[in-house]
Amino acid sequence: MALKNKELEEYLETMYRKKQKGEKITTGEIAKELSISPASVSEMFKKLEKRGYIKYTPYKKVELTKEGEKIGASILRKHRLVEDFLEIFGVKREKAHEEACALEHAVSNAAEKAFERAIKNTKNAKPLSTLKEGQKGKILYVVGGVMANKRIEELGLTRGTIVKVIRTSKYGCPISLLVRDSELAIGRGIAEKIYVEVIE
Amino acid sequence: MNGPVIKMNPLVVALAGNPNVGKSVVFNQLTGESQHVGNWPGKTVEKFEGKLNFLGREIKIIDLPGTYSLSAFSQEEEIARDFIKKEKPDVVIDIVDAASLEQNLFLTLQLLELDVNVVIALNMIDVAKEKGREIDAKMLSRLLGVPVVPTIATQGKGIENLMIQTINVADQKRVKKRFPKNATKRYEYIHRIVERCQKETAVGPTLTERLDGILLHKYSGYLFLVMILLLMFFLIFQLGDATSGYIEQIVDYFRQNIPPEISSNALFLFFWRTIVEGVVAGLTVAIPYLIPFYIFLAILEDSGYLPRIAFLTDGLMHKIGLHGKAFIPMFLGYGCSVPACLGCRIMESEDQQFLTAFLATMIPCAARSVIILGVVGAFLGFQWAAGIYLFNILVIFLLGFVLSKFIITKPVGLIMNMPSYKIPNIPSILRRALLQVKQYIFIAFPIIILSTFVINTLDFFGLLRYISGFLSPITVGLLGLPSIIGITLIVGFLRKELAIVLLAALLGTENFSEVLTPLQMIVFTVVSIFYIPCAATIATLVKEFGWKKAAFVTVFEIIFAIAIGAIALRVLPVFGLS
Repeated sequence: MALKNKELEEYLETMYRKKQKGEKITTGEIAKELSISPASVSEMFKKLEKRGYIKYTPYKKVELTKEGEKIGASILRKHRLVEDFLEIFGVKREKAHEEACALEHAVSNAAEKAFERAIKNTKNAKPLSTLKEGQKGKILYVVGGVMANKRIEELGLTRGTIVKVIRTSKYGCPISLLVRDSELAIGRGIAEKIYVEVIE
Repeated sequence: MNGPVIKMNPLVVALAGNPNVGKSVVFNQLTGESQHVGNWPGKTVEKFEGKLNFLGREIKIIDLPGTYSLSAFSQEEEIARDFIKKEKPDVVIDIVDAASLEQNLFLTLQLLELDVNVVIALNMIDVAKEKGREIDAKMLSRLLGVPVVPTIATQGKGIENLMIQTINVADQKRVKKRFPKNATKRYEYIHRIVERCQKETAVGPTLTERLDGILLHKYSGYLFLVMILLLMFFLIFQLGDATSGYIEQIVDYFRQNIPPEISSNALFLFFWRTIVEGVVAGLTVAIPYLIPFYIFLAILEDSGYLPRIAFLTDGLMHKIGLHGKAFIPMFLGYGCSVPACLGCRIMESEDQQFLTAFLATMIPCAARSVIILGVVGAFLGFQWAAGIYLFNILVIFLLGFVLSKFIITKPVGLIMNMPSYKIPNIPSILRRALLQVKQYIFIAFPIIILSTFVINTLDFFGLLRYISGFLSPITVGLLGLPSIIGITLIVGFLRKELAIVLLAALLGTENFSEVLTPLQMIVFTVVSIFYIPCAATIATLVKEFGWKKAAFVTVFEIIFAIAIGAIALRVLPVFGLS
């Protein structure tokens, strides 16, 4: 039986999310998350293993292979991108999430790039790295890898957050920001990926 | 049975919190002298444990690694999360920086989502006040549903109350909470909590802001950085020089006063020499140079200057595919290469960890500094020794530039918190420095003694000279050194600091200027610095990166060092050195 791409991607995305959170991937957990019977999940695991996306030992552990992780990460990235895109254009967050779940599978790599470009050109979006000392900005969007995004988010740089540039520096050095009452230093490369709307 | 029933098993209390919130100060306050260090099972992260008796209860305190979250991104986060989930401590004390409450509560919410009792220590309320922030602890406690105790750990304030609350909740069963999953929503939720319990008044620039104005300034920042590091090295070498003289006297005493019952037996004498020489040679590095080094390092760390160094050097480190945080393990390399390799874990990607460790092994550790100072410094003068250090930095930078093109596939940028400056707490600094030296002794000493054994055995059978003859095409032909020096290069593989002792023994004099030309001294020193990490470092590289990468580093560095030595021999005479 042919494997539908959408179904496959949904599995890999869910597993990747779990892995990111540091949770164990088990048949039961995945079944609960996707509202599917555990029997069909283990059936699916076998298929995924045949294709080289996971390593699966029944009743023991499931691990994503490099290939599987790549697809999972890409779908998650597209999910967030679509979500952000819709939200920036006024769709309510819950609705944006639902839409993103459906749309994420249809977004090609070329479309992903186009969405990103569109976001960068919206409103007064400009990279955080271009702000001057003392300027304030509201975070609109973060470009780039899911992993880096999550780190940035956990330290408080989430969408809608207002940041103030405390110090810029020379020689390609980091900039330091006031975020949620604490001072955070971020490298140039990362500051170029964070798009903000200047508010002051 | 009459009277109260006393629970016999001790309470297990874990300390959690972000980095730089004063967690180790709280730990020291609670446990005092009763602490001990181990490693987390299967990990190289240090595990601090201690004991305390309070209100008739025996309490075991475990200091979890400082983390911003429990997502298991890094080894530290994984350790903290697994400990709470699997070992199920009776209480987790979450230490929160009152001056940056919003960011700290991210971890707090993750803790509240777990099946564990939580008490919050609202620490550094004095610093928060300086920044114009006042927090209503009662309100915060009501909003989060767990006790909140204001503390100033550095002054011991609130610690007793913290423990009372800890014991109070220890036998309860808290119902775990659920918060928004998405990070954006979660921070919005936290923001609302903070708005309800924090009062802000405008204040002038804080001391940290004013200091950063100078210390992170585009120009003066670098001036201070160079001055601070130079001063530090100057003091370390001054202190080292002064103490190593005394230690040498003790060494001589042990060398000359061998108990008669040992000296009469050839085998006993062999082992006596091996152990005494091994321990003594290890100590001559550890005491004079490593102790002051780790004390200064702890001062840099505790004062909050270390992240500033990472900030200032970030641009430079980017040129070699790394970022500012890589400065810290590289800097550790000046002490001992083993902790330097372990310290590379602070880098986010595996590529970056490997490159940082690779370069850090080429930084002259305390043992190699002994060679630089004992040969070049002593006979050619301070400026030549300083020149070798500078040359070393330059070479490492150029090499890093080239290697990064092959090793780094995806550079990860710098993200780090900038803590406020603090006045370092002296007892905690001394304790940490001594712990680090103790660890050096545990890791390095067995290898040192084993290596001395191997060397003495080779010597006993007359194999050393045979090997040095075998190496003479390299030592004599390429490097222009006396053939006998081949032995010190082999010994240097096992033990760097012994190379100089052996050099003196083989050449028959401690006055190297009698037998070596200045050019030969420079070539010998340069080769010794670069040519191979010692056995303990290789073992660490194998453990961290696998034997293939460790073998690559080792072979690369041998060839690289010989090449640099050979070039130096041929280029330096142009500048008038012979």
